[in-house]
Amino acid sequence: MSSLPVIDWLYATPVSSGIRDLLWVVPTVQSVHILAIAVIFGSAVISDLRLAGVFATDESVRGVVRRYYPWMRAALLLLLGTGVIMAVGEPDRVLVNSVFWLKMGLVVLAFSMAWRVRRPYLRPLATSHGTEPQPVRAFAWLSIALWCVVIICGRWIAYAI
Amino acid sequence: MDLQSLLQALEATALATTIRESDIAFPALESVHVIGIALVFGSIAVVDLRLLGISAHRRSALRLIHELLPFTWAAFVTCVITGSLMFAANATTYAQNPMFLWKMGMLVLAGLNMAVFHLGAFRRISEWDTALPPPGAARFAGVSSMALWVSVVFLGRWIAFV
Repeated sequence: MSSLPVIDWLYATPVSSGIRDLLWVVPTVQSVHILAIAVIFGSAVISDLRLAGVFATDESVRGVVRRYYPWMRAALLLLLGTGVIMAVGEPDRVLVNSVFWLKMGLVVLAFSMAWRVRRPYLRPLATSHGTEPQPVRAFAWLSIALWCVVIICGRWIAYAI
Repeated sequence: MDLQSLLQALEATALATTIRESDIAFPALESVHVIGIALVFGSIAVVDLRLLGISAHRRSALRLIHELLPFTWAAFVTCVITGSLMFAANATTYAQNPMFLWKMGMLVLAGLNMAVFHLGAFRRISEWDTALPPPGAARFAGVSSMALWVSVVFLGRWIAFV
């Protein structure tokens, strides 16, 4: 186990000790994190499957994407917030963990990709297609796979300490 | 055979032993379990919010339920399979864990709640399918379902902390 100065410093702060000493905080924050995962993953899967042309095809892509994107964004903020609490509470567990940083990179990738694919539909005047063009459909499936890998990394953090 | 012997026998099976002694089996099962949880709760939340009058991506509650239920079921089955395998690996320990036992109880209640809805307000869905807000019974089903499934998630996470 490494002890970078910043981690030692963070570990010694009252906030960090408080998070660790109040035994209900970590499991509760983790539970909220899991609920937010469900919101972001559920929203992503529904809108990605519509983008891929295999779900709710009687509803416009524009409508489905616009309905779920705000939930994805809100869930991401909650995930980041709960994540910060967990990192502050247990910096030694998280900040020197390569799986954690891999997960952070994949979150940035997954959400940027999700936003980029949805951007045309979030604009005021969006074109509608019979079926979305190929890059969009492929990215939709890739997106679902990426979120799964993010979830797996999230679980694996505990095993890479 | 009493319960304790049964649980011990389960733990002693080749499959349970392999899972328990493997480096990757448990994390892999947990990961798939979390993906399943995300889909169970995510899909149920969309329907429950609709029952509370917050529309999803379509107006019809019936069509929404029909198109999302397959996902909920597939994800739930995945959770049951992964959960059973994890349980088997440490059966005697889990059987004594109050959070685990409460979680199982909540799952039963969640199932009963769904059954009550399906035999009640859902039977008359043609009357309130596109109406907002939905009738009181549907709204109650939505709130209780959300509360129960949120409890399931919390209890599930707390298993590791007691």
